[in-house]
Amino acid sequence: MFERLSVMLMKEFLELKRDRWAMFRLIVPLIIQVLVFGYAATFTVYHVPTAILDLDQSQASRNLISHFVATGRFDVVDVATTQNALTRDIDHDQAVLAIVIHAGFNQDLENGRRAPLQVIVDGTNSNTALIALGYINQIIAQFSADQSGHAAPFRAGPAMPVTGISLQTRTWFNEGLDDRWFFIPGVIGTLTLLQVVSLTAFAIVREREVGTLEQIMVSPIRPFEFILGKTIPFFLIGLGDIALVSAIGILWFHIPFVGSFWVMLLGASLFLLAVLGMGLLLSTFSRTQQQAFALNFFFVNPFFILSGFAFPIAAMPTFLQWFTVINPLRYFLVVIRAVFLKGVGLAVLWPDLAMMALLAFLMLTISVLRFRKSLD
Amino acid sequence: MTMVEPAIIIQGLTKRFQDFTAVDHLDLTINQGEIVGFIGPNGAGKSTTIRMLCGLLQPTEGQAFVAGFNVGRQPEAVREHIGYMSQKFSLYGDLTVRENLRFFGGLYRVPRHDRGERMAFAIAMAGLAGREDVLVRTLASGWKQRLALGCAILHRPPVLFLDEPTSGVEPEARRQFWDLIHELAAGGVTTLVSTHYMDEAEYCNRVALINRGKLVAIGSPSELRGHQLGGELFEMDCAPLGAALKVLTDVPGVEEAAIFGDKLHIVLSAGGITAGDLPGFLGARGIHADPPRRVTPSLEDVFVHLVSGSHETRGAF
Amino acid sequence: MNIRRVFAMAFKETLQVWRDPRSLAIALLMPVMQMVMLGYGVSLDIKHVPLCVYDQENSQESRAIVERFTAPGWFSISQTLVSEADLRNAMDRGECSMAIVIPVDFSRTLATTGSAPIQAIFDATDVNTTNIALGYAQGTVAQANAQTSAQWKAAHGVHPSPVGQVDVEPSTWFNETLDSRNFIIPGVVAVILALVGAQLTSLTISREWERGTMEQLISTPVTALEVMLGKLMPYFLIGLLDAAFCLVSAVYWFDVPFRGSLGTLFVTTVLFLIVVLGIGYLISVRIRSQLGASQIALLVTMLPTTLLSGYTFPIEQMPAPIQAITLIVYPRYYVTILRAIFLKGSSLPDLWAPLLGLFIFALIIIWLATRAFHKRLD
Repeated sequence: MFERLSVMLMKEFLELKRDRWAMFRLIVPLIIQVLVFGYAATFTVYHVPTAILDLDQSQASRNLISHFVATGRFDVVDVATTQNALTRDIDHDQAVLAIVIHAGFNQDLENGRRAPLQVIVDGTNSNTALIALGYINQIIAQFSADQSGHAAPFRAGPAMPVTGISLQTRTWFNEGLDDRWFFIPGVIGTLTLLQVVSLTAFAIVREREVGTLEQIMVSPIRPFEFILGKTIPFFLIGLGDIALVSAIGILWFHIPFVGSFWVMLLGASLFLLAVLGMGLLLSTFSRTQQQAFALNFFFVNPFFILSGFAFPIAAMPTFLQWFTVINPLRYFLVVIRAVFLKGVGLAVLWPDLAMMALLAFLMLTISVLRFRKSLD
Repeated sequence: MTMVEPAIIIQGLTKRFQDFTAVDHLDLTINQGEIVGFIGPNGAGKSTTIRMLCGLLQPTEGQAFVAGFNVGRQPEAVREHIGYMSQKFSLYGDLTVRENLRFFGGLYRVPRHDRGERMAFAIAMAGLAGREDVLVRTLASGWKQRLALGCAILHRPPVLFLDEPTSGVEPEARRQFWDLIHELAAGGVTTLVSTHYMDEAEYCNRVALINRGKLVAIGSPSELRGHQLGGELFEMDCAPLGAALKVLTDVPGVEEAAIFGDKLHIVLSAGGITAGDLPGFLGARGIHADPPRRVTPSLEDVFVHLVSGSHETRGAF
Repeated sequence: MNIRRVFAMAFKETLQVWRDPRSLAIALLMPVMQMVMLGYGVSLDIKHVPLCVYDQENSQESRAIVERFTAPGWFSISQTLVSEADLRNAMDRGECSMAIVIPVDFSRTLATTGSAPIQAIFDATDVNTTNIALGYAQGTVAQANAQTSAQWKAAHGVHPSPVGQVDVEPSTWFNETLDSRNFIIPGVVAVILALVGAQLTSLTISREWERGTMEQLISTPVTALEVMLGKLMPYFLIGLLDAAFCLVSAVYWFDVPFRGSLGTLFVTTVLFLIVVLGIGYLISVRIRSQLGASQIALLVTMLPTTLLSGYTFPIEQMPAPIQAITLIVYPRYYVTILRAIFLKGSSLPDLWAPLLGLFIFALIIIWLATRAFHKRLD
């Protein structure tokens, strides 16, 4: 078997070498995608166009505004003088957020009353709106603490509950809440999936279309020898992809890699086997490269969207959550993020690794079985 | 298996695709060293039969033995003993001549000590000496075919299946190709070759005519020519041809009439109209005709006769 | 231009589409499947975020705080922890996105000093969930405090704190419930039309090249413009059908509020379809193999549309160079338009900027496509 396998491999590499554009096609789109993905994929709200209507014009109101500006996340685009102007800002997309400080704000605070602060948010982008509201909660908590901090000594009153419960927050694994740390490891898995599935599916279907597959199948080669010969090169290409994209993530985007290289390698290998199995399976359902392409389009997009890459699986309806069980990318994303950011090992990740191994086994077995039949 | 066993035995071989029967209870026995031609119109079931014999398709019914192995049950063993060339050129265009040979040699596990010699033989046979490092896709079609044959016989298979090996190849190259096959047959290789070129059938020891999945006739070219028409064949100049054909269709004794080039071919059976009566018979109907000449039937005549079912679709070819 | 030749082209093309199940499947099934998948799958709502509770005190007060976190259904308690090691372990395994730690003397400290800390620990791997959960946690605590102080005031007749606190009174416009579906579904419609539309037409010319019918076609007196119009007409109808399906399901199935006018929707959708089908056609004219055309169509539509159209990742938050690139990602204009029509009820004059963008695109594409189609074999 080794002889047949080795001539298969030699043939594959020769063909790859002959294809002068192969390396270009494999690498350049990958690099462009990582860079664009890396910069474009962000849910972080860096700046919120904000309109402010300060009807109080007091020390306290100016202090509050400076609290907002100090965070650097609120761009004051308009200091309005009327409620109408404020409304117009929101209506015409000039501002996403409007803050109204009512007349008497300062006085309320001075008198120890609770001062209302009206906030209008354009909820069109619910996510941006939610995050902006979260920022406001944090700023107000800070503002209140500062106020009480320097006002307390001068005031008399009941000694009882001053601030109530204070929330101390800690963010683990990604202290700076940089969401590239979340997306870039996801990009590694996603791009590998996209590339390897289509490469594998096309390679086999092309041999079928050209007729060389038939010529090979009349030789005494076993289906698994053929499949191994076809997939080992893509396995190596896939590992190369993962290494390249990881390197860009670590060196260019400064994503920390705190875990074990070996766990990563194991995870990547199992993932690639599952993905190769998928590509092979698609190829057994396609007679022509066109059909392979259509199938690829039909299946890869769901695997990408429903992987937890950007959209939490927990928020999906149950029937889609069940679908994600057969998605190798889902498990790989858990592994790769955990290895990059958490540094956990096999003790924690074994269920995900085991699921990938199971999927790889199933898909490869089914495709070898189907492959025999597909010549009929 | 002893040496006198037939190389290929086909018994009731049938292949159905859904409700379409591509090959319908085919029986055929081919002896060692024979060259058998498979002739039939497109879609007659030639390729399907060959693919079943190669173990590429599972027979729906019946069985076949190639080199003593059952093609349905022991396809792997069959594959060790056959060479196959499909109608579509199927070597790797982006590999060189030598790389292709090395690849297929490896797939068939041609012994290492033998490999250099076999490759040299294949290269010489294909006439590609000195061009071993040329990319295959740059070769002309005739060279490609001979190289494909070279790849198919690298492992010295006792049985060769050639599925329309010469389609799209220029006549001169086809000629050379057949010379190669005869050389191989002289060395004891059994060959089953399908073609739709009538003239190529003449190169075969025996010809099997198949139509709609069924074996219509089998025999050597001369046997087929001699016995299959059901009468004697005459050639006649007449004008207009179309009118003559129409008139003759229903005349008793005319087994068959067909236009061949600018002449009419007519098969006459005993007991009906005679050859000598024909010019007068036609002349009376306003058709000018020269006296018919007796001719030896070509395989094409036999083919037309058998395939057209001779009575309904007369003149279809 | 001869209208009969255009119709002859269109009729032939319609027959071919009708008899090609693969194209028909792409045309009709794809939008349905993508709508289900993206409509349900692409959600940024914070629902059932796994929450771990390490309540060291386990008193009535501490349980009341925990109750506040879980009540609205954003978080569901996945584990009750009993030790620090448990906490570390659960975080490592990703079993909780947020953990609340309530110290052992929580209620006593609160009663005696008037303030007590609780700790919220986030698995910040998923930054977006963390950000939203963080804001939400702050809000929950602020609410609890406001209630305590109101009770205090009721009991003592004075405000508890020496200085007044600020109460945020948020009001949300356009998408009042802050349901991410209302934001994402209009974008999904745009993305689906962009992907499916380009696929539909990308094969139409290359198929003629591959089947050899192009030779026959260009030997007739048909002009480039006639070929384009004739070929695009059936796909345009399919595109309208797809658009209608997506938009109807957005409103009636996914319950996205629709506040604009049908007229505005129709005009903008037609313009967008012209751009989308035109792009596919242009690719098809330039690339003679069906496979190549199909691949290029996917390459220029799928990732850019998914990433750079603003349908999930807000364009305003991208770095300036990437924002510049999005100007040529034509679906972004339609994403903006659809969102505005659906949620804000915008009319054509409000939408002049994205409409202008689409219009320029349409002109350029039609110009390029008629120029690129040569009636020559080489």
